Amino acid sequence: MTDAEDHPYVEWIAREARRPVATDPAARARVMEFVRREPAPRFSVWHRLVQPRALSLSPLASVALAAGLVGIGIFTGLFVLRRDGQTLAEQPLAVAPTVSGLPASDTVVTFIFAGKASQVSLVGDFNGWDAKATPMTKVVPQGTYWSVTLPLSAGRHVYAFVVDSQWVADQHAPLAPDDGFGRPNSVRLVGRGSSL
Amino acid sequence: MTRYRSLIRGAAGLVACLASQAVAQASDPLSKLDPNSRFAVEAMIDSARVAGLPSRMLWLRAVEGINKGADSRRIVAAVRERFVHLKDARAVLSQATDDELAAAADLLEAKVKPEALIPFRNPGRGRSPLLALTILGDLVTRGVPRDDALSAISKFWMGGAGDAEFMGLFRGVESDILQGLNPGAALQNRVREFPGRAPSSIKPTTTPPAGEPETPNS
Repeated sequence: MTDAEDHPYVEWIAREARRPVATDPAARARVMEFVRREPAPRFSVWHRLVQPRALSLSPLASVALAAGLVGIGIFTGLFVLRRDGQTLAEQPLAVAPTVSGLPASDTVVTFIFAGKASQVSLVGDFNGWDAKATPMTKVVPQGTYWSVTLPLSAGRHVYAFVVDSQWVADQHAPLAPDDGFGRPNSVRLVGRGSSL
Repeated sequence: MTRYRSLIRGAAGLVACLASQAVAQASDPLSKLDPNSRFAVEAMIDSARVAGLPSRMLWLRAVEGINKGADSRRIVAAVRERFVHLKDARAVLSQATDDELAAAADLLEAKVKPEALIPFRNPGRGRSPLLALTILGDLVTRGVPRDDALSAISKFWMGGAGDAEFMGLFRGVESDILQGLNPGAALQNRVREFPGRAPSSIKPTTTPPAGEPETPNS
């Protein structure tokens, strides 16, 4: 027997605690009714965006996501800086569809191929030797002349025609010796006052 | 459901990764070379850049080979040859522009000796040997005997010939060759049109028999 148990207040509290509590069976229903009457909270788009949330990823998905991000980084690096040290802004233009916005240093040059063919394109150091970059168009309906006009920077340009998938030099322009791939190319000097 | 969501996320990541690699390959033509060849080409490009040579010409040579369908070994050899010839051309034409170096390197690729470039160095103020070197390369490529072409163009150049004379010589020789004349004879005939320019070293060249037109070297 302790002093606390002898105290009349302790005895009174214990008696009250032992007395069964009578609950109102309708209380729960009233509370829920009150909750339902409350307007639902409306979250804005911004709130949804900034609301922190847990993201569950499997290890495989995590690896794939990381690889994708690395790939995007590599691609961006390659896109911005080529291996030859020039940024894309420094790379020569492929083909400008129009001459508007032409740099002052560029000259509009026309290339002509005479001969029958079903498809002719121009390749050279100005378009990365890409046979799809500069298609030539028929000048005459019979298809004996093909032409393309494009802006070129001043200087020496080496080029060739791709005639029905065959690379041929322009025989009416100065030829450049075979550069190791079995066929000579042609040379166009731009911006020297000569029309070579 | 969670498993499917993970699978979809993984697939999306993989697709993004493959797509980025594909785009990177498309934007970098050198990626079409095998790894060893690419390393060799990139090493030469870096060396050219360090040496102050126009490294872009090496990159373009490699891209040209790739687009022409040449195999990697041939591309590396062509790039190496270009690198060596650019260095040799720079050694002779120390003050040359990039275009002049390229024209001179073309001549070296056509088996012209580096010493033959000596007349074209230090051309003087306002004068460029670019056109002369370009026409010389053209003559050699069209089959004019190397020594004859070199002798004629050197004499033109040292005699102070201008663009109009070089252009006239080129147009005349080109026209004659395309009509079937022997390239050496075509040069000889056309040089005579420029009094005082014809070098004495050009020997008479016979025209080929009828029906056997000369074709340019290729």
